[in-house]
Amino acid sequence: MLNLESNTALQNVLATLEVERQKIASTQKKGYIFLALGIIIIIASFSLNFPVPAAIAGLIPAIYAGIILYQIADELKAYKEAFKINVIGTALKSLDQSLVIEPYKGILDYEFESTQIFSQSPDRYNTEDLVSGHAGKTAFYFAEVHAEYKTEVQTKNGTRTEWHDIFKGILFAADFNKNFNGVTILKPKDLLGTMSAWFSKNLFSFGDNDFVTLENAEFSKTFITHATDQVEARYILTPAMMERILALNKNTKSTVSLSFINSRMYIAFPLSRNYFEAPVFKTLLNPDFLDQDITVINFMYNIIQELDLNTRIWGKN
Amino acid sequence: MVIALVVIGLLLLIGIFFYNGLIGKKNQVTNAFSAIDVMLKKRFDLIPNLVEVVKQYTNYEQGTLSKIVELRSKAISGNTSDAEKALIDTQLSSSVKGLMVNIEQYPDLKANSNFINLQSTWTESEEQIAAARRTYNAAVTDYNNAIMMFPGSMFAGMLNFQPITVLTTAEEERKNISAKELFNN
Repeated sequence: MLNLESNTALQNVLATLEVERQKIASTQKKGYIFLALGIIIIIASFSLNFPVPAAIAGLIPAIYAGIILYQIADELKAYKEAFKINVIGTALKSLDQSLVIEPYKGILDYEFESTQIFSQSPDRYNTEDLVSGHAGKTAFYFAEVHAEYKTEVQTKNGTRTEWHDIFKGILFAADFNKNFNGVTILKPKDLLGTMSAWFSKNLFSFGDNDFVTLENAEFSKTFITHATDQVEARYILTPAMMERILALNKNTKSTVSLSFINSRMYIAFPLSRNYFEAPVFKTLLNPDFLDQDITVINFMYNIIQELDLNTRIWGKN
Repeated sequence: MVIALVVIGLLLLIGIFFYNGLIGKKNQVTNAFSAIDVMLKKRFDLIPNLVEVVKQYTNYEQGTLSKIVELRSKAISGNTSDAEKALIDTQLSSSVKGLMVNIEQYPDLKANSNFINLQSTWTESEEQIAAARRTYNAAVTDYNNAIMMFPGSMFAGMLNFQPITVLTTAEEERKNISAKELFNN
């Protein structure tokens, strides 16, 4: 577990970054004040029926604000990157030496689609903060992912594009400890899923993924399981594994989705927060700001242990 | 007239769906059963290699080894019924389990890469058989539900479909493993 007070290297990094943060914060504050000032002058001049000269007077601070905010943008980017690599990076190393964070890398969209957890293809896809490493014998990685699809709505003024989330949160991938060839997918149980499962079981099924009835009642209440191979699905989802997945799911706010494919297991955690971001208007010297990030790192790292993926007795090393 | 025809057509269609569903479920049971068979065969095939490797290192386990070989040849001979096969598998499992415990006394054998490989393949096959049995039980439950519930029960009566019993775990396997018991043998 990371102890901020006793880690002098981290304290030094934080002190250096704090200077940078204060500079960025004060510049941004200045920029916003000038911007607000400019807007107020422009609005006031219009309401006083004295538009042109006063509007120009209002534009000057607004333009000035734009310039200083633009100039600080690069520094802000560098500061955020330094924060991820140095602060989050140190937090990761203190947990396990093998862990690294790559702020500009992520899980690419083709891999996101290959998990088969989400039936919709994204029209807009963002990913960042790839963390990778080992927990014992098991390699794993996770990244922040935001995938959206769009719909076009007809309005009086033409078409309007609306964006909807397919998934926002952390996608986690780990090397699974058993060999398998097919695909097994677990999704949160909802009305549509329940109906399609009933349909595929009682009338006929579309596609190659059949509904799997599992004997753990709580598990079946929480997840809908589909698989290409019934026996293989049960080989992966042993009674013990089902209990472990349920325990893992209890520690998350929204129900997770899982898939077992290409000898990996993927877990999608829906989360609204953007993790590993450096604070601008809060001090770095109060270690509380890292709490949420560290909780998430520990949680991901402990999945391997919790799902018992380091037990390698099934012919896969 | 037209309405009557449509209703009859619909009823017929529903009937066909349910009939096909029942047949599908019955076939699934057969299919799931053959999956157990495949997994069992896979496990039986491991025996000769296991015996070979163990033989190289020990002279003391001859009794267990010959018992295991005998059980295997009984299992793969053509005229063994499914029930017998399952019984043999239970005996085989416990013999191999006993052997694995005794092997603790042979450090050279324990470190042999072939043996380690076989050991993990054996555990793999154990869980695969368990998975196949659970699949079979799920298919049987599904089928039993279908033939006992209305309207499936109507067809089942006409076609003389009988409920099938699910596989239960052997008494020995259900017991919690106690280290004391294992070592006192």
